[in-house]
Amino acid sequence: MNVTFPYMGTVIIYKKLLELLGHHVIVPPRPSQKTLDLGVKYSPEFACFPFKTIMGSYIEACELGATTIVTSGGHGPCRAGFYSEIHQRILKELGYNVDFIVFDSYFRDKERFMENVRKLKGNYSWFHVAKAIKFTFDMIRELDKLDRWIHRIKPYEKVPGLTKKVWEEIQQQFDQVTTRRELKKARKKGKKMIESIPLQEIDHEKRIRIGIVGEIYVVMEPSINMEIENVLGELGCEVERSHYLSEWINDNMLPRFLKHSDEEEILKKGEPFIEIEIGGHAKHTVGRIVDFKEKGFDGIIHLMPFGCLPELISQSVIPRISKEYDIPVLTLSLDEQTGQANNRTRIEAFIDLIRNTKLKKYTYTA
Amino acid sequence: MKGGDESLRIGIPRALLYYYYAPFWKPFFEELGVEVVISDETNKGIVNRGVREAVSEICVPIKIFIGHSLNLLRKGVDYIFVPRMVSISPLEFFCPKFMGLPDMLRHGVNKLEDKILTCQIQSMDDDISDYRLYLPLADILGVTEEQMKESAAKAREEWLAFRMYSKMGHTIPEALNLVENIPISKRKEASHPAIKIGVLGYVYNIYDSFVSMDVIEKLRDLQVSFITFDMLEEQDLKNEIQDIRKPLFWTFTNKLLGAGYRFFSNREVDGVIHITAFGCGPDSMLSKLFEIRSNETGVPFMMIRVDEHTGENHLQTRIEAFVDMLKRKKRVG
Repeated sequence: MNVTFPYMGTVIIYKKLLELLGHHVIVPPRPSQKTLDLGVKYSPEFACFPFKTIMGSYIEACELGATTIVTSGGHGPCRAGFYSEIHQRILKELGYNVDFIVFDSYFRDKERFMENVRKLKGNYSWFHVAKAIKFTFDMIRELDKLDRWIHRIKPYEKVPGLTKKVWEEIQQQFDQVTTRRELKKARKKGKKMIESIPLQEIDHEKRIRIGIVGEIYVVMEPSINMEIENVLGELGCEVERSHYLSEWINDNMLPRFLKHSDEEEILKKGEPFIEIEIGGHAKHTVGRIVDFKEKGFDGIIHLMPFGCLPELISQSVIPRISKEYDIPVLTLSLDEQTGQANNRTRIEAFIDLIRNTKLKKYTYTA
Repeated sequence: MKGGDESLRIGIPRALLYYYYAPFWKPFFEELGVEVVISDETNKGIVNRGVREAVSEICVPIKIFIGHSLNLLRKGVDYIFVPRMVSISPLEFFCPKFMGLPDMLRHGVNKLEDKILTCQIQSMDDDISDYRLYLPLADILGVTEEQMKESAAKAREEWLAFRMYSKMGHTIPEALNLVENIPISKRKEASHPAIKIGVLGYVYNIYDSFVSMDVIEKLRDLQVSFITFDMLEEQDLKNEIQDIRKPLFWTFTNKLLGAGYRFFSNREVDGVIHITAFGCGPDSMLSKLFEIRSNETGVPFMMIRVDEHTGENHLQTRIEAFVDMLKRKKRVG
């Protein structure tokens, strides 16, 4: 079967896993204006932005010959957990003959979960499947490490654009990897490439660190968040996101005893503001803001899709957090109408503000 | 039974689930000896205050709820009762905004920080009268567990009576009156209504006459009879969506889905209208499901989206046109 998946973040990972299971994988094109146009045209008007983007992406993948879509379900109560149901119905209405393999939470429907795994596994042994999963997980962990590193040094690059280029090359390298040995080699090479990027020396006090929090899709997918990490890097900021794929897998897929995650701690930090889990990443978002502040970050950019149910609650309580913890937060709500220039101006002003405050502090104490 | 703090005044906003659970909450608090204050009927001032305090993208019903809370603040209440609605059905939840509502009011709206009285509502079915859910309020109200238990039992009777009136075909404002022994005005309904419409929408949209601009009265004026989800048995609604592999996550959205699927499939109505408020996330999914089902069954369907500044004429025109179409269709067919 020709398998495809929703486009989000470092897509070579999904591709790799499906390939290791012997499928012919059709990687959907990186979301473009055409993707959005298609998505908007065939989605309910008030569906959230990720829904529309993925809708468009599915249509493009179907046009390229995809016959099966593998995606995750989720147990709500935010809309994302219901995407696949509506996507399926819309694709059917449009006349595409495509199967969905939807991974809901294992505990919601164990039988179906295992049936899905069997469908994807084909004739491979369970041992092979386990190995493939472990391999891709290790791979994404390595990639995420390099990803973080890249966005830490990007603001100090001497040759503009070099870090971005290096990151693209690293991803291509990893895309070729099929064995553990090659993975090790790719990792080493990646490290070396990053280390060889010439950097400017900047005083520690003058560094600006920005944390990006919010709904996972708009935080992780650069093509629909105006490549915000790059934009911030060019403005001289180190950037860290609140979501990395490896962490998501760690928090959502692994059994408890295998976890080494600070997720619980982060949720705890959000609790004074949002008491319980209300779906999506709302509590996570507010917890992360507190966490970033405690780690000495200078400002937060909060990304959400327009009208996102859980993130509207975060947005409502953010002014209070910002005041209590003395950390500036800028909320940007993204959808197909997002004016890039407008948002860019807001981001620039926000960074200017942070820089000025910091400079003042710096010169007073000096 | 009296026993609580006699001077305590608790406000219940006339918004969101007031239209479903006031017949329980109001007598419950009153039985406990607390004075209950209900906010005014929704009006322009309430809406505007809500709009001003809320984040701009949030749905209209939540904005209105905030407006009502501020209205209560002006009335000088000691607390505003904002329960955290989590779940009233296994594996189903309320929309995230309901689940985060107390947080939003406490941390997001000026002057409300110490005014919010909240407890977590989680039950197996629509009946949320288990007194243990309200125990966290006991200290503040100055009542004992035993008093709570008795009050909850009495209030439950009223709520059940209220639900019974709904299922007899009364609208919710009528049922609210009946349960308080207020006579309801004679209906202007025609004796032989020409057509019947299934009206789908959350209670706080349809029955808040400011939000829906009295869509129900408009239908009555046009000699149309109607039916809404709250007039059906809970179990019937559940049965309708039993076969769906993955029902929606949101309880009341599922109720609407069940009602809608029933209207579309068993032809008891001539057409279906879905009234949704601007910015409603669950409805963006729901309406699509109705649209698809309407295409499959051929039962006419219309969606009306209301917001804080919808023009009434436009609504009137659309409803008239829809009703005309149904009448014409029926005569020909």
